[in-house]
Amino acid sequence: MPDLLLKLSLSAYAFGIVAGLAAARRDELARLAGAGAGLAAGTCGVAAALSELIGAPGKRVAFNLWPSLLPHLRLGVRLDPLGAYFLLIVSALAIALSLYSFGYVRGFCGRKSVGALAAFFNGLLLTTTLVFLASNAFFFLIAWELMALTAYCLVSFEHETKESRNAGVLLFIMSHLGTGCLIAGFLLLFQASGSYEFESFRRLGVHLSAGRRDAAFLLFLVGFGVKAGIIPLHIWLPAAHPVAPSHASALLSGVLIKAGIYGLTRVLFEFLGTPPNWWGVTLLSIGTVSALLGVLYALMEHDLKRLLAYHSIENIGIILMGLGAALMFLHTHHPILATFALIASLYHTLNHAIFKALLFLGAGAVVHATHTRNMEEMGGLIKRMPKTALCFLVGAVAIAALPPLNGFVSEWLTYQSLLLGFGTTSSLIRLMFPLCGAMLALTGALAAACFVKAFGITFLAQPRGEPAAQAREASPTMLAGMGLLAAACIFLGLFPSALVRLLAPLTLELTGQRLALTSGSILTNTRPLGGTVSTLGIALMGICLLPIPLGLWLVFARHSRVRIGPTWDCGLRGLTPAMEYTATGFSKPIRMIFKALFRPKREVQREYDYSPYFAKTLRFDSHIEEPFVRRLYRPLNRAVLRLSRRMRTLQAGSIHAYLIYIFVTFLVLLIFAL
Amino acid sequence: MNSSPSDFPSQLITLLAAGMLVIQLLMAVQRMLLTSIRLFALQSLLFAAIATVIAYCHNAPEVYWVVGLTLAGKVCFLPWLLNRQVRRIGIVQEIAPLLNPSASMLLCGAFTVVGYLVARPFTSLERLGNNTLAVAIALLLTGFFLMLNRRKAISQVLALLTVENGAMLAAVALTTYGMPLVVEVSMFFDILVAVMVLGILVYRIRESFASMDLSELKLLKG
Repeated sequence: MPDLLLKLSLSAYAFGIVAGLAAARRDELARLAGAGAGLAAGTCGVAAALSELIGAPGKRVAFNLWPSLLPHLRLGVRLDPLGAYFLLIVSALAIALSLYSFGYVRGFCGRKSVGALAAFFNGLLLTTTLVFLASNAFFFLIAWELMALTAYCLVSFEHETKESRNAGVLLFIMSHLGTGCLIAGFLLLFQASGSYEFESFRRLGVHLSAGRRDAAFLLFLVGFGVKAGIIPLHIWLPAAHPVAPSHASALLSGVLIKAGIYGLTRVLFEFLGTPPNWWGVTLLSIGTVSALLGVLYALMEHDLKRLLAYHSIENIGIILMGLGAALMFLHTHHPILATFALIASLYHTLNHAIFKALLFLGAGAVVHATHTRNMEEMGGLIKRMPKTALCFLVGAVAIAALPPLNGFVSEWLTYQSLLLGFGTTSSLIRLMFPLCGAMLALTGALAAACFVKAFGITFLAQPRGEPAAQAREASPTMLAGMGLLAAACIFLGLFPSALVRLLAPLTLELTGQRLALTSGSILTNTRPLGGTVSTLGIALMGICLLPIPLGLWLVFARHSRVRIGPTWDCGLRGLTPAMEYTATGFSKPIRMIFKALFRPKREVQREYDYSPYFAKTLRFDSHIEEPFVRRLYRPLNRAVLRLSRRMRTLQAGSIHAYLIYIFVTFLVLLIFAL
Repeated sequence: MNSSPSDFPSQLITLLAAGMLVIQLLMAVQRMLLTSIRLFALQSLLFAAIATVIAYCHNAPEVYWVVGLTLAGKVCFLPWLLNRQVRRIGIVQEIAPLLNPSASMLLCGAFTVVGYLVARPFTSLERLGNNTLAVAIALLLTGFFLMLNRRKAISQVLALLTVENGAMLAAVALTTYGMPLVVEVSMFFDILVAVMVLGILVYRIRESFASMDLSELKLLKG
């Protein structure tokens, strides 16, 4: 059954691509075909993934997409629990995003090729699905590259703007860097196993020498890390994700970067065997740094979609913290704790996919209505777009890890695993755990601050510009897409047991353990003793507490006289948007606290005639720059350019010279072969 | 059927392969472009003959495909195409080598020796003829040298074609049935397309630069 569902899903995506291209001239048709195909494919994909994860462990689904053309090249697809879990993520998002895209894409009608957009979108969904399902390294790399290619097409879809083009090129370069590392890593594994099949890579770590194993770890870390957007390999992410059409941004941030997490999980837990300690320490530190810096840079952003993109870095950091902790537990032979941490990080993977997609869709609806991504020009949208605002609020609460939504559950699990980690070893390394836990707490608080800003500046107060004042509510299908995701956020928050049960076959495969973390709707960890929490209980308590203020109002305030006057207007008549709290103003205290890190550049220009106290015009400019670009990438860039300038003397421009190079190489190789 | 190197088909193949090498050497010293084209056709014909012998003696009907393609493409079509090109451009028949004929002859001799040296460890793998592989490698090397030694684009194309003849011969020599047919056919079409493109390119180069001398392409360097 999952066999058929999977094939149906893949062919529906393929149909979406073909139909999108075929109907390139007819926008309405292409819009319908693209959304319909994605919807059907997503539904089939979810069904296939669930039947694999829930169903009894029977024969694995495995088939070839196409007969083999060359030796080693087998377009093999197989569905194992890890792949099925990620298939579930991508398919679930495909449903919501396709629904949303039907309404959203109307904004492109007549302006851009809707058919091409539908084809690219379905193409990205298809290639990402294939990445999760590929059964050998060769096909995996092909799907991986195709995924990068379609992502490029979506990022530079609005290629009229220089921003889009540059972001696309940056994405391309970074992606190539990563793929280069991946190819080298897989070749290392291939040398040891003699086959490209993932099945032959299983538990390969014991056959590798320590040096090779470490080299493979580093190669895969960089290769998958680029895609996941870990700091400092993240620079493409805040550039590329915001410029794509919003449903594509949601897919890029929700699923594409998870391909990196998928790869790391697959390689570290399945292929490379019991890890040395420094692997876990590295992952945990990278995760912590990414989480903290991601949220700090997000706080400084005024571009709504860029802000969300930086939050992706933060959440990838949180996921990596879980993975790193799991690796450290595996090293110290605590498989149960490792399973616990793995569940935490995989749970967060799904959660992040859902709430980040929701937020991007909300941001997309807002950008669609106001035609700007700058938060300083929005405001007051809650009155014009109440339903979008509600969905965005749900997403914001989830990402800020407030109970009872899903972000809380997975971050709570991550905390728990970090806190429990302190007792697993007596070496000094154990200090890492509470330290990283504290950083995670700080990250959570900053994320909450950031979404107070994002929601408050965007939706509350008065409109700051004409487009914001004229904004219209999103179309029904867009709202349906967002509503689905918001419902998923609430469901995954209230009923974590449902998902934890799904993860059981997966953890059984990767760490050999099967954890029952839940009893009913209560999350608890009994072995070793950890904390207990019930999100459903929190929600019920909240609902129970609701009548109290209502009752108080009924008793005391019903009969009091109400006088309506202007709020906070300090004696001035009439509030104007110019008096509102700005995004810059809101984040100023944090900018000051972390001054050492941000190193904000301020510039004040004053024009005056007689005395600086009577200025005619005043220009204030303040911006921050990420140190990575300046300190790391620019010197690297210069070095590469210098080297290539030197290499250019080889490129004499004469065909004879080139022929001589080839000939001499050929001769030398022949003679050395003797 | 496993043939010992001394039976008649093997000797025939060795003779034909030697003929290919001799023609290659002739091309190295030939100054006339049209004659060179004819020599190439002759060399291809010899290769087709080798393939026929193999197909006939070893009951390998798929090798007839190679024979057919070689006859149609390299013996008839390509020489005709190149001939027409030469006529159309109306080149002087001079080939203008970089090295004088005697020096290039000496070098080609050296390359042949290298070919024999390189092929020696593999003679046991050869199933057909004596030293066919050595001849094939020698053809590859001298063909390459021809490419280096020519200034005009057309004569370089010609040299590339002889390199391809060498590669085909190597394939045939190492395995009875040659490479997988797919690879052989695709290689053939690669070469065909390359020649067509080069043919067009040569014409354009001629139009833009009023010359076919590839050394002048250096001016294009940025």
